[in-house]
Amino acid sequence: MCTIIEFKNVNKEYKSGDHILKAMNNVNFTIDSGEFVVILGPSGAGKSTLLNLLGGLDSVTSGEIIVNNQHVESFDDNQLTEYRAKNVGFIFQFYNLIPNLTALENVELMKDIVKVNIDGLSVLDSVGLKDHANQFPAQLSGGEQQRVSIARAVAKQPTMLLCDEPTGALDSKTGVLILNLLQSMSNNQNTTVVIVTHNAILAEAADKVIRIKNGQIESIVVNESPKMGTDLDW
Amino acid sequence: MLAKKMLRDISKHKAQFISIFLMAFLGVFVFSGVGGESVGLEVNVNDFYNETNLADGWIYSYGINDLFLDQINALGATTEMERQYVVDSVANFDNDPDVTLHFVENNTISKFYLLEGDKFDINDENGVWLDKSFADAKGLKVGDNISFEFEGHVIEKEIRGLGYSPEYVYHASSASVIPDFNKIGFAYLSNKAFPGDNISYNVLEVKFDGTSENYNDLLSYHMDGYYSSFVERSQHSSVSQFADEMNQHRMMGDIFPVVFILIAMLILLTTMTRIITHQRMQIGILKASGFKNHSIILHYVSYGFWLVLIGSILGLILGPMTLPQLFYPSMSATYKLPSWNPAWSMNFVYVAVLMVLMSLAVSYYSVKSISDEKPADTIRPKSPKVSTSGFIEKLDIWKHLSFNARWNWRDAKRNKFRALMTIIGVIGCSALLVCAFGMYDGMNDLKEWEYNQINHYDSKLVIEENATDSQIDEVAEAVNGDKLMESAIEIESDSVKKSGSLTVLNNTDLVTPTDYDWNKVEIADDEVSISQKMAEMLDVGVGDKVKWHIMGSDKWVNTTIDKIHADPISQGFIMSADKLEDLDLNYTPTSIVTVEHVVNDYGGVKAANSMKNMTGSWDELTESMWLLIYILIFFASLLAVIVLYNLGLLSFTEIEREIATLKVLGFKTGALRKLLLTQNLWFTAIGFILGLPVGYIILDIMWKSSGDSFYILPSISLSNFLLAAAITFALSILVNLMFSRKIKKLDMVESLKSGE
Ligand SMILES: Nc1ncnc2c1ncn2[C@@H]1O[C@H](COP(=O)(O)OP(=O)(O)O)[C@@H](O)[C@H]1O
Ligand SMILES: [Mg+2]
Repeated sequence: MCTIIEFKNVNKEYKSGDHILKAMNNVNFTIDSGEFVVILGPSGAGKSTLLNLLGGLDSVTSGEIIVNNQHVESFDDNQLTEYRAKNVGFIFQFYNLIPNLTALENVELMKDIVKVNIDGLSVLDSVGLKDHANQFPAQLSGGEQQRVSIARAVAKQPTMLLCDEPTGALDSKTGVLILNLLQSMSNNQNTTVVIVTHNAILAEAADKVIRIKNGQIESIVVNESPKMGTDLDW
Repeated sequence: MLAKKMLRDISKHKAQFISIFLMAFLGVFVFSGVGGESVGLEVNVNDFYNETNLADGWIYSYGINDLFLDQINALGATTEMERQYVVDSVANFDNDPDVTLHFVENNTISKFYLLEGDKFDINDENGVWLDKSFADAKGLKVGDNISFEFEGHVIEKEIRGLGYSPEYVYHASSASVIPDFNKIGFAYLSNKAFPGDNISYNVLEVKFDGTSENYNDLLSYHMDGYYSSFVERSQHSSVSQFADEMNQHRMMGDIFPVVFILIAMLILLTTMTRIITHQRMQIGILKASGFKNHSIILHYVSYGFWLVLIGSILGLILGPMTLPQLFYPSMSATYKLPSWNPAWSMNFVYVAVLMVLMSLAVSYYSVKSISDEKPADTIRPKSPKVSTSGFIEKLDIWKHLSFNARWNWRDAKRNKFRALMTIIGVIGCSALLVCAFGMYDGMNDLKEWEYNQINHYDSKLVIEENATDSQIDEVAEAVNGDKLMESAIEIESDSVKKSGSLTVLNNTDLVTPTDYDWNKVEIADDEVSISQKMAEMLDVGVGDKVKWHIMGSDKWVNTTIDKIHADPISQGFIMSADKLEDLDLNYTPTSIVTVEHVVNDYGGVKAANSMKNMTGSWDELTESMWLLIYILIFFASLLAVIVLYNLGLLSFTEIEREIATLKVLGFKTGALRKLLLTQNLWFTAIGFILGLPVGYIILDIMWKSSGDSFYILPSISLSNFLLAAAITFALSILVNLMFSRKIKKLDMVESLKSGE
């Protein structure tokens, strides 16, 4: 196993007026390739901030973020776009599908970004939505929409999947389904998966659990025997 | 607290509210500005006519005596009358200027309008009241002496006053359309200042009751043979020229502002609806926290109200203050009125009030529909409109379309209202642009057609009225020129009577009658050709018979039409001298045209005009038209920018989340910009194409309103058509560029945070 993601002394400050808020305070950790990582913390701890920095949506105040031996913190706008297109698959709490496009079109949209030949139907099939291919997001349930968004994220075969509260808006049954799906992506395709959540139960499924609080790392625990999503006690 | 919220909301939606304000302002501004100009002309000239008691009609005769007056009085309809002796004189200056003298009995009708000096005195034997424009051109002051020569008399008088006359609002010599006050003027004198023993009055000015047609009928019935002609007010050259000008302005004042107002209202409607829909959740929260329905409605309705109210009032004030000032200076060089003030009309206020009411109605309607929902429903985001796969999506090509095409197609489909508004906005702008450029082309075509295609001599010598035949022949010989006769005539068909002009050509190749495509029309020696517009107005064609007479003579003749030609500025007949004499009418040449450049004066010649002079005069006369064209292009462009930016902004806020998502997924700014540009360009293209016929119709109405003597058909040159298209599309792209900055700066994290 080799290190694919590294945070070195990362700081992130938000200025509002003359008040400075340290959302990320000297954060250090590493993630190995193919690892299934859960970042755990209460609301306001800085989880989303961490994920956004890693995904290239936001820039650090100081420190280094190294992904695949590249210094993400030094990228300019164009390089960041390129980086997001190639390396990052984002999955949000509220799915963020394009309402004007069908499930299939939302997945095949990725053809416009990466030069990968995508068979949208088979990707949809892998998340169990082959039959809903021609439906629009508004015609799908929350869980189905989240599965489309996972299909969209994995279609371009990114280095890592970054999921911000992926089960936050779903009931527990559907949540388990989504978690399983993400786990199998990590196991079968060797994709690194980073999940951010405030739900401690998810931690039992992780290879590694990073706890944060007030923008600081509290603990990093490697889980020797992660449970399958289906075995979790919701 | 709500007031504070309102101010915050307004500053948050700055651009939209600024455009609401601007649209209300611009709409009312242009409406009341152009309207104020044309209403102003009307008010000013009517005030002038009333104040000076302009005659209702002029009866021309010779030696009008007391018996004649009694007979006119006996017609019954006559309410006032006064005799004058009107004669052309030459004033004692190097350039022999023509000054028309009016020896008046007491000057109660068509009164001299005093600007400087003493009031007109009917007992003054030694004074003269002179044309102010002429006096200015000659540097004459009150108290100076001036002498005139006419019909063997030479009189010298002291200038008692300077001023204007209602009969000379427009005063140009027969040689040019533009007045040259160095060469032409008028003067009023008492009949006691007349040098001879017996003054022989030749004009009777009358005021009468009833219509001028009635009066004309009365005259010709009772007085036939005792007078040579009767001119009613609307036919008087000064009155009719100014009326034509006013007509044109009124037409501008009617059409263009209406287009502006309509577009302004559309924008208002869209923006208000959108802003309020965006605030849906907030409305729900306000309601849930116990605000009364009517105070919420009042709150939202007041948003647009204040802006539209202030915008409309500003437009109402600034419009009439500024726009007329652009037109009046060039007009006052040609027309002489004592005052040039923009006028007000209640219509302006009505339009402003309508604008405000509409904003109220639109806001009320949109808030009402939301506040009628249960708060619980309102707080949840409105369930998104479900897209459906339509006919096009089922086609095979759909699968091969790019994401860009699919996305735009569906976005337009889901937001039909916004699409429609954008297209209507573009239609308005492109119609105005096409119309403006069409006017530009029409004006240029007209000039080229008249002053190069039809008339291609270098100089035109205007013959004096009392010149002898031998004098005329001598001059024609000396300058190698051809004689020409031009007279005012009146033509009558079964249906209508129209005044026009007669041109008698003598096998000259310096004047070429043409058809509408500028191809030469051959008119044989024994043929009569009628101009196309005259034929249309009289509803006659080749082979039809019409009745006509030369103005000032009561000899009517019947003529069969053999040919039809077209002419941009003079409508009537063209025939040869032989044909004229065949009809038993006198051939009296009025000018000589030549390819030589003639500067020196010959005996019997009143003035020499070069082609350059004539085109120069034409340019001056059409100055206000050009001004209008430029103003039109400017405002149409401004309108396009506001419409496109405003609607673009609305759609941008609506799809901000989608754009942010696409950005997260790794779409490049360029690709996203193209996404928005594609839709913009399509709407622009559709709007432009639909705007063409609209512009064409407006142009047609414009030309038709330009007076009976003009003949131009609406058309636009390819280059200007392309220019209009280029402007429209360039504006569309320009507006899009403003959004590309927004895409670049778009904060992905912010835009994607939670539901709203
Ligand atoms: N754009 C911002 N401006 C100011 N403060 C912010 C911004 N984004 C996040 N914060 C603050 O940073 C802290 C961490 O936020 P976030 O990463 O969203 O927390 P989490 O996702 O763990 O709930 C919070 O205190 C939040 O208020
Ligand atoms: Mg969060």
